[in-house]
Amino acid sequence: MSYIELKQVSYQYPLASEWALNDVTYSFEKGKLYGIIGANRGGKTTLCNLVRGFIPHFYQGELMGQVLIEGKDIREWENHQLSTEIGYIFQNPFSQISGVKETVFEEIALGLENLGVDKDEMIERTIQVVKWLKLEDLIKKNPNNLSGGQRQRVAFASIIVMNHDILVIDEPTSQLDPSSTAEVFEIIHMLKEQKKTILLVEHKVELIAEYADEVLVFEKGQIASYGSPADILSRKDLMERGISIPSVALLGHEMREKNMAMDSIPITKSQALEQILKGGKNDD
Amino acid sequence: MDYEFAYSFKKPQLTNNWILDMNPLSKLNLLIILFIIPITVQSWKWNVMIIIFYFLVALVAGCFKRFTRLYLRFGLMVGLLLFVLRALFIPGENLLYKLWFINITQEGVDSGLQFSTLVVAICGAIILYSIVTRAKDFMYMIEKLGASRVISYVILSSFQSIIDLGEMSKVILDSQRARGIETEGNIRQRIKAFIPILGPLFLGAISNAEEKAIAMDARAFSMPIKNTHLCHLRSLPVGEKAILIAANIAFIGFVVWRLMA
Ligand SMILES: Nc1ncnc2c1ncn2[C@@H]1O[C@H](COP(=O)(O)OP(=O)(O)OP(=O)(O)O)[C@@H](O)[C@H]1O
Ligand SMILES: [Mg+2]
Repeated sequence: MSYIELKQVSYQYPLASEWALNDVTYSFEKGKLYGIIGANRGGKTTLCNLVRGFIPHFYQGELMGQVLIEGKDIREWENHQLSTEIGYIFQNPFSQISGVKETVFEEIALGLENLGVDKDEMIERTIQVVKWLKLEDLIKKNPNNLSGGQRQRVAFASIIVMNHDILVIDEPTSQLDPSSTAEVFEIIHMLKEQKKTILLVEHKVELIAEYADEVLVFEKGQIASYGSPADILSRKDLMERGISIPSVALLGHEMREKNMAMDSIPITKSQALEQILKGGKNDD
Repeated sequence: MDYEFAYSFKKPQLTNNWILDMNPLSKLNLLIILFIIPITVQSWKWNVMIIIFYFLVALVAGCFKRFTRLYLRFGLMVGLLLFVLRALFIPGENLLYKLWFINITQEGVDSGLQFSTLVVAICGAIILYSIVTRAKDFMYMIEKLGASRVISYVILSSFQSIIDLGEMSKVILDSQRARGIETEGNIRQRIKAFIPILGPLFLGAISNAEEKAIAMDARAFSMPIKNTHLCHLRSLPVGEKAILIAANIAFIGFVVWRLMA
């Protein structure tokens, strides 16, 4: 059985003149990492809001079709049930800090307080996440005085600590430098190994190529293409539609145009290296 | 990893200042007493004594600077304004000074003194309370008293958003200034500079509020169960109980005495 299922879903925000999602049908399986890419305003965040139930529980507007989580219609889920089932890390790190906690440590523990976790367990789980996300230096700081990147990591920790089975993550690295980005992806990878189901919106296709099981391309509120990273991210025509593909894939295409032997277009560095080394040996 | 800090949450977080460490409800109790005394006494001398007492409390609590800054700004403005209004316009028999068509009378000055010190004293109680009580202790208390998480969150974050609004307006004013718009100078110029920022300021605040509401929902604020707390307060020490009982008895005695007199 599919875990999250969208059946001919269309959605229009209140007062909007266009459909933010237009006839989307897809099913997400348990334990997989879905990379969601697409140009701005393509409907990625709207999909996230829908899967988490903010549409229709929070956003009014017109919703057609069906969204099923574990077989149950999203309209029938209680909002608070969804908040224990599905974690959501938002695109904007500034709205995610509660503003009422004096230290980052307390900020991270806030969700556990709401879940009624007892104090000793709360402290242990918070410590664990702090270590995991390498936030040791921040725990005593006031969350209201953090930089964008720091807030993003704290926001990430604040949701991870709640230990959801499904995670919806909307551009978690938009404010991060390359090394923090790599760390966040390390963590997303570990979450995947823990058999979490992850919907990850991310513009950095190199990382999607590395970690995703499936890739969905959103365009004008529709799923323009979907498939394995190898199939999708090697397609040069995505470039014409405003979506970048990994630079090694571009390199692959250029090598092919120069008539160099290529079994397949590589999408990660290691695949590219493998191909190049193989090519090198053939020449001997 | 600073384990000492992480595990410090297992114990009540004390500052070792007995006023700050007092239970928020005890402090509320004492300040309500101070709040009511000036209303019952109706004497500006008492009011001034209470105001001086607030400064002493702030000093002992180690918040003298913060309290003074906030209180002076408020006290000077509102106190002076009320005093002047009353002194100028309350009619009376004993003329002190004649200024064009305005008669300043002894009665007017007395009434101004009485009324302005009363208001300043009452507001002092509120300002002092907000300074010597940590927001999270207050939140903890009202949750323990049965308020829902959402309510205590809304109260606290409204305070926070007042601060945020202040900071945001500073940012916007700075950028106005950078664009060459006059923001200093007389009141009229300032108001003129301020009006155009009100729109973006409040619209911004409202759209932030919507996003924040959703983001907090993701942190399980809508759970229909009783939440737990990372920080807790100590149970009332015997000394504190004794002080409270003594203060309340003295207060009731005082009120009864005033009523009889
Ligand atoms: N809260 C909202 N109210 C009204 N319209 C909205 C709202 N959020 C998004 N939209 C509209 O819905 C459409 C899809 O937007 P969405 O935010 O889902 O795109 P996105 O793919 O996440 O874009 P981005 O890459 O910029 O984050 C856009 O036309 C947008 O203007
Ligand atoms: Mg988006």
